[in-house]
Amino acid sequence: MEEFVKSRIKQVLKGDHNAFGEIVEVYKDRIYQLCYRMLGNAHEAEDTSQEAFIRAYVNIDRFNINRKFSTWLYRIATNLCIDRIRKKKPDYFLDAEVKGTDGLNLYSQVQSKEMTPDEKVAKMELQELIQMEILNLPEKYRSAIVLKYIEELSLKEISEVLDLPIGTVKTRIHRGREVLRKQLRNI
Amino acid sequence: MHEYLDGEISPEHEQILQDHLAICSDCKQDLHELEKTIALVQSMSHIKASDDFTLKVMQNLPREKKRVGIKR
Repeated sequence: MEEFVKSRIKQVLKGDHNAFGEIVEVYKDRIYQLCYRMLGNAHEAEDTSQEAFIRAYVNIDRFNINRKFSTWLYRIATNLCIDRIRKKKPDYFLDAEVKGTDGLNLYSQVQSKEMTPDEKVAKMELQELIQMEILNLPEKYRSAIVLKYIEELSLKEISEVLDLPIGTVKTRIHRGREVLRKQLRNI
Repeated sequence: MHEYLDGEISPEHEQILQDHLAICSDCKQDLHELEKTIALVQSMSHIKASDDFTLKVMQNLPREKKRVGIKR
């Protein structure tokens, strides 16, 4: 797969605009999924993953052809997600728990205004519950957990995507796992 | 325990862990919960990009800028 993608990158560099579409086809689901799990919102995930591919295209001449393309692309997308998470915090802190709702945050409230928190918990499907707990993780743990367990990257790849030593990546995964364990132990 | 979950535990450490788990129900419970947590996160269904995803990316590529770049 990497070889196919690299041959397409060479075509793009020669000016074959359409070859980039084949690269997008290969990675679109993985990159969209990463953004969706990081941001928890289909609209934002679409926006951010689209932007990741456009940035990759614009900067394609800066990609080192001897490296793995997916790692580079994941890095662009992860950084865009983290930027977006940081930017939206001052406006409305969606990750913050809503007072008196015992672990529910604004994401769940936005989704269903008419239900009380208790009803929401009862109706919330397992998948939504897990997604909500992932969204409640601080962004540095969230990116490590999503890359490890949803995108199934190796520790070495994650350390390249996040530009962190492997030891730091491990610590973030360990802490993220511990936070999730406490939140998910009773289901 | 985390070495074990990362798949990086040495045989000696694994032996120490197993011996400890045999006598410590708290740690055994913790490990069980961590394994369950990982399984839950991994059980999240795979989501796909929209059908017109590639088309939209291609429509939004900055053509002009690229042409200039190629000359160099």
